[in-house]
Amino acid sequence: MNIDFDVKGLNFYYPGGHHSLKNINLQVYKHSITALIGPSGCGKTTLLRCFNRMHDLYPGNRYDGEILFEGRNILTQGVDLISLRSRIGMVFQKPTPFPMTIFDNIAYGLKLRGVKKRGLLSEKVEHALIQAALWNEVKDKLHQSAYALSGGQQQRLVIARALAVEPEAILFDEPTSALDPISTAKIEELVEELKKDVTILIVTHNLQQAARVSEWTGFLMLGELVEFEKTEQMFTSPREKLTEDYITGRFG
Amino acid sequence: MSERTRKIESALALVLSTLAALVGLFWLVFILGDVIMKGASAITPSLFLHNPTPEGVEGGGLKNAFVGQGLITLFATLFGVPIGLLGGTFLAEYAGHGKVTRMISALSDIMISVPTMVVGTFIYAVMVKPLGHFSGWAGSVALAVVMVPVVLRTTENMLRLVPWTLREAAFALGAPKYKVITQVVYRGAITGIFTGVLLSIARVAGETAPLLFTSFSNNFFSTDMKGPVASLTVTIFQYAMGPYDDWHQQAWAAALVITLFILAITIVGRIFIKLRYGNK
Repeated sequence: MNIDFDVKGLNFYYPGGHHSLKNINLQVYKHSITALIGPSGCGKTTLLRCFNRMHDLYPGNRYDGEILFEGRNILTQGVDLISLRSRIGMVFQKPTPFPMTIFDNIAYGLKLRGVKKRGLLSEKVEHALIQAALWNEVKDKLHQSAYALSGGQQQRLVIARALAVEPEAILFDEPTSALDPISTAKIEELVEELKKDVTILIVTHNLQQAARVSEWTGFLMLGELVEFEKTEQMFTSPREKLTEDYITGRFG
Repeated sequence: MSERTRKIESALALVLSTLAALVGLFWLVFILGDVIMKGASAITPSLFLHNPTPEGVEGGGLKNAFVGQGLITLFATLFGVPIGLLGGTFLAEYAGHGKVTRMISALSDIMISVPTMVVGTFIYAVMVKPLGHFSGWAGSVALAVVMVPVVLRTTENMLRLVPWTLREAAFALGAPKYKVITQVVYRGAITGIFTGVLLSIARVAGETAPLLFTSFSNNFFSTDMKGPVASLTVTIFQYAMGPYDDWHQQAWAAALVITLFILAITIVGRIFIKLRYGNK
């Protein structure tokens, strides 16, 4: 299997020197789904946000170590964040549709990349919406505000928006924690469907979700990667006592 | 405390606060009623179509003042709004939460409550005096100075209301910062900002003090912003002080027109606020 991201000795510090990721090492395989689990404040979201350098939006954050993406360390100074982020999409906890029409939401990333032709835009928007299993619900109201959609639909819209620019990977930050069970099931189905095209990293609070959708799971605690294993392995016979305690619900 | 005293206290509070509201309302209704009754009868087509007649001669209108007021307000908006918008954007999006940001915000708040007379005399000192004559431009600049802090603070506040996750989502798609602001954040705040702009126009439309020392007044029709330009508010001031009955009539009419204009802008502003925040 091909390695997409190779995390080597990653440390991360929030302003004031708070050391919130400690010597993380893991490999994310191409076109696989990797879940990050752990109790609140363990650093799983912090780790996820390293992959598209989201931490750079706020002053005072510091990375140390490497995340190799296609052999290049994306944590170095000279990396073009705009092009990095256009290759690695992100979906947030709460749906984040832009205050514009459904069509314009999906077309936004394409327009950023200079796609201007109406025909090509329509084609790509339709393709992305089909991929995100939203096309049938919105095809008649593409030019209505995205805010008119339900929460679950908005989340799929946001996934479609990320897919439209054909990224190599998508980072999911607890994508279903604000959704009802039916919408959650749809998103999970979708995530599984997507892995044939993109590499997926997903942070989740929901252990069953990690068990259901992912092939690899990383368990973090207090900023350290306690265990990184095949999901099946981790949920049936974890190596570490700490992991076992967490997934059997003894804490967290 | 017995239940009886509590009930009496509650009734007393209710009576007092109702009375206070009624006293405030009484004067408001009184003023508005007076303006409407005395103004409505003086509103004639000739008020808008004719220029003032020579002193003491019956008839004439205030066309010069309507056009002048329009010009001065228009240019004030053109000067003041962009500065306010950009300043507010700077504070909310670029400046962070540091000392400078708080200082500019605080100064703007002070500017909002500075008596506009002070702004008028200031512009008199820096524009009218050095140039040697009153001018429409000076009037527009004075009104713009009054507008800037209003627009700036509304813009800043409205932009801050846009959730951070929306910006992060745009950044995560690979958008550069200026596009995140202009294409995503502005869209999220547009109704609020627009309302702020409208209210700032309403605010300066009724100002007399900043214009007295700047655009002054002009009895003739003039669209030459380099010279003195008539305005409704200053004309009302002059006509109300004047000795002639038809001047008083026209002043009432002009007062009514300004009041209705400001009312209309405020209502439109409120409708926008409702559209944005009402049904959620």
